[in-house]
Amino acid sequence: MDYVIEVKNLNYKTYIEDISFNIKRGDYIAIIGPNGGGKSTLIRLVLGLIVPTSGKVKLFGKDRVNFKNNSKIGYVPQGVTKNDSSFPITVYEVIKLGFAYKSSLFSSTSIEDRAYMEFIIDKVGLTDLKNRLISQLSGGQRQRVMIARALISKPDILILDEPNTGVDTNSQKIFYDFLKELNQKDNITILFITHDLEVIVGDVTKVLCINRSLLSYEDKNEVLQCSTMSELYGIDAHVMHHNH
Amino acid sequence: MEILQYDFMIRAFIAGVFIAILASSLGMFVVVRRYSMLSDALAHISLLGVAFGFLFSISTTWSAMVTAVTISWLIEYLRRNYNIYSDSLLAIFLTGSLSLAIIVISLSHSFNVSLFNYLFGSIVAVSANDIYVISSFGILSVLLITNFYQKLLFVSFDEDVAFTTGINTSFLNYLLVSLVAITIGLSIKIVGALLIGALMVIPVISAMQYGKSFLKTAILAVIFSISSVVLGLIISFYVSIPSGATIVVMALLIFISSLFKNKIFR
Repeated sequence: MDYVIEVKNLNYKTYIEDISFNIKRGDYIAIIGPNGGGKSTLIRLVLGLIVPTSGKVKLFGKDRVNFKNNSKIGYVPQGVTKNDSSFPITVYEVIKLGFAYKSSLFSSTSIEDRAYMEFIIDKVGLTDLKNRLISQLSGGQRQRVMIARALISKPDILILDEPNTGVDTNSQKIFYDFLKELNQKDNITILFITHDLEVIVGDVTKVLCINRSLLSYEDKNEVLQCSTMSELYGIDAHVMHHNH
Repeated sequence: MEILQYDFMIRAFIAGVFIAILASSLGMFVVVRRYSMLSDALAHISLLGVAFGFLFSISTTWSAMVTAVTISWLIEYLRRNYNIYSDSLLAIFLTGSLSLAIIVISLSHSFNVSLFNYLFGSIVAVSANDIYVISSFGILSVLLITNFYQKLLFVSFDEDVAFTTGINTSFLNYLLVSLVAITIGLSIKIVGALLIGALMVIPVISAMQYGKSFLKTAILAVIFSISSVVLGLIISFYVSIPSGATIVVMALLIFISSLFKNKIFR
């Protein structure tokens, strides 16, 4: 099986306990769980930002520690909608940071790279805003800037940590349509943390439920059983489906 | 111009302009990371280096630079590996190294005469050798900043995300504190330990008032910094007042006018 992420017996201090799962190319996966349940820690372990106490993470079949092809992974961290408002940086400059890993005194951004930047800027609908300071944008617009920055390196996997915090409902809808398009048209594997159960009902293929340990890694319909929700959030849950 | 008939003033202008360029361009990365206290802490740590220079009768410029770089690495190591607030860490090193500097200078019996020059700076102290060191380092630093500009900007904007794209954030952090440490070690002779922090921070904050991109803000900061140094040196020469303090007052005036202009045209 062509797995892009393999996690085996992963432990990190007291936050993550013996978690194992595999993600295959083209998956669209939501991570859900209560606050403090280890969702962000799990993502940070996969990204190599923290080192596991024990267990293994493999990316594209290679051990995380030996994995060097970082441009294959795009990451949008938590809180992008609340960036430092006094940081003097434009939309264009932020998106260009996606090429920083290969920039140096002797290699300026190529014509192809610049053309691709313009393509991505247009794709996320930021053409008119590209010379604006990031501090002048709304939460939803900032979110699109960070996704554009993550897409610049043409990643195979896009990892997002609660991307919709501080974003209005209309922008959220546009955002999830965009993620769906990236997954279905561009075949980008998507892994994101959310508290929004409506999204899970919608587009995702699988749901990772964690509360320190892995409670379930199932098809979305299995997860939306009341028993799973009750185990996850520790309350009696009643899941109601509707068509709107 | 009368002022340019004096060799020591020409040396002061050359050294001052190099320091202005270095201090403001490095200051951009320091200020946006909310790490402004770093320059003040390293300035006091440089004083400890100067004290070692007096004690062992070696070049104070080199002893200041080596001490500042060594301790800047220690600060960066502690910041990355221990759960200590950055500002508290800097406060500890600032006061600790100043205390040590005073003790070491007392032991070398050069307290009154020499310390004052290094606290407030002295333009006549710039030798031809200092010019070679400052200009060589200045050119090397500008090349390094240009080479790593995008990566330094990324690390300043979001260190975690920069790391996930394969950028060696640890190397860049050590590089940045080293360049800041060397710049300060070189500068305290001219601008003074108590004032170099201001030259690193004030032009950047002034430039940020104009709401431009990072690159344009950096260019504005360099222009403000060079203007402060040149005006400060000219005024201090003709009015016979201390150069370091005059340079910082010029930077402050630019800051106030930037604030004022921003208020009017907003």
